[in-house]
Amino acid sequence: MTIPAKAFQRWLQSIAPDASTADVCRVSGIKRTTLAQQLVRGKVAVHTVVSISRAYHANPVASLAVFDDYRVLAGPPHPPTKCELVSQISTPDLLRALLSRSAMDPAPGAAAPALGPAPHATSVKNWVDAIDDGEVRQRVSASTGVAPQNYSAQLTANRLSPELAMATAVAAGVGPVGGLVATGLVTEEEAGWPAGARQAALDSLSDGELTVLAGDRLQALGKVLRRHEHDQAQTEKIWENLG
Amino acid sequence: MIETLQWSTLAICGLVAAARIPSALRGENRSLFGIFALMTLAILLSIQGPYLVIDQAMGGINLANLLLRFVVFGAIFFLGIRVSRGFGADGAYRLITGKTGLMVLLTISAVMVALFLLMDTSGSSAGLMAISAKGGRNSALVEYYGAAGRAYPAFVALALVPPMVRAVRERLPLLVRIAAGLLALGGAAVALTLLFPLIPPSMSAAEFIINYSAVLCYVVGLALIWTARIVNRHSGSRKTSTEM
Repeated sequence: MTIPAKAFQRWLQSIAPDASTADVCRVSGIKRTTLAQQLVRGKVAVHTVVSISRAYHANPVASLAVFDDYRVLAGPPHPPTKCELVSQISTPDLLRALLSRSAMDPAPGAAAPALGPAPHATSVKNWVDAIDDGEVRQRVSASTGVAPQNYSAQLTANRLSPELAMATAVAAGVGPVGGLVATGLVTEEEAGWPAGARQAALDSLSDGELTVLAGDRLQALGKVLRRHEHDQAQTEKIWENLG
Repeated sequence: MIETLQWSTLAICGLVAAARIPSALRGENRSLFGIFALMTLAILLSIQGPYLVIDQAMGGINLANLLLRFVVFGAIFFLGIRVSRGFGADGAYRLITGKTGLMVLLTISAVMVALFLLMDTSGSSAGLMAISAKGGRNSALVEYYGAAGRAYPAFVALALVPPMVRAVRERLPLLVRIAAGLLALGGAAVALTLLFPLIPPSMSAAEFIINYSAVLCYVVGLALIWTARIVNRHSGSRKTSTEM
């Protein structure tokens, strides 16, 4: 969901009153031609707003909240749920944490290393799964008009447009920024997630909960790998016979 | 226009066949080269000029036409085997190479040869136009002979259409999916040839267009798969293990 050029210009005035377009591009590392093109088309990418905000030490989430389509980001801070926090822990990190639990290994070695930053390889899908009550996808589909199969395709590719990410959060009744963290548009810190919140959420999981969660992740990963192997084998067969 | 279509189809087929020579010499998928070579020969035999020259050399009794039919049968048979195996279409593979398929091939071949022998085939004529014009039983026999010649390719083509349509929707490399679409289209065109008796003589150009588009779809489709493999090999060697 792009931002109208007019609204963008107004916002830019407020955040960097005396800066020329060239200055803005230099400071934020955006190519001048890219920004010029976005302005000519009248559609400015969300990424552009985020980059410029960071360059001028403004909070990207607060910046986005200025624009009509992102109003939902304004309002009182909404702390992330435990499920959301855990969903943003990568599968390798989760497995390492499990291996360092005494239930898994009576004589655990060193403590698990620090968690890698969000997002991770399957963070979008894990986030939606974490907040899905079973009907979230249908509700998002109904409210945005995006076909369920297109929505699923984005999740499978570990992608979600900001519009859909916010609609999903609203449909699930969680904080509106969670999806933007999961898609990597903004960082946990920018979203107002407390430092160490994911580690704390992970530590609060019981051995049983963590084991089941890790099992679910492995099963999902196994499915993806198997499907990939199947596709690969099928393609190989085509090469072999017709290549 | 039809002449242009014929010669350009011949050129494309010939080029693809020639391009396969090096890999055929290396021993890679020789039957694929065979398919392209047979298709090139079939197109050559279906064009007036070359047909007359070749048939004169074979005695001027239109044996070249019978040869053309069997060349087409051979090409479509091997194509059916390769494509059904490549795309994992076990049902189509069994249908083509199993008892049913061989019975169909034998029966149609026998009927076709019998019809050929019953005709007065003297006087070279591409498409047996002149034979048909002799009137009497000849025109009816030419009609049946033509139908028999179209029946076997249509049988194989129809067996291949469903798996090709399925392959278009699968998670395969894009070029392969486009190729499967072309193979499906070619199959549908070959199946359409069964309806030739219903086409009024004034629209006989439609028959040529259907025939040659079928060949073009098959040849371009197969060439695309080959291209896809080359593309894949190159991109595969450049980026190592970055993909899952």
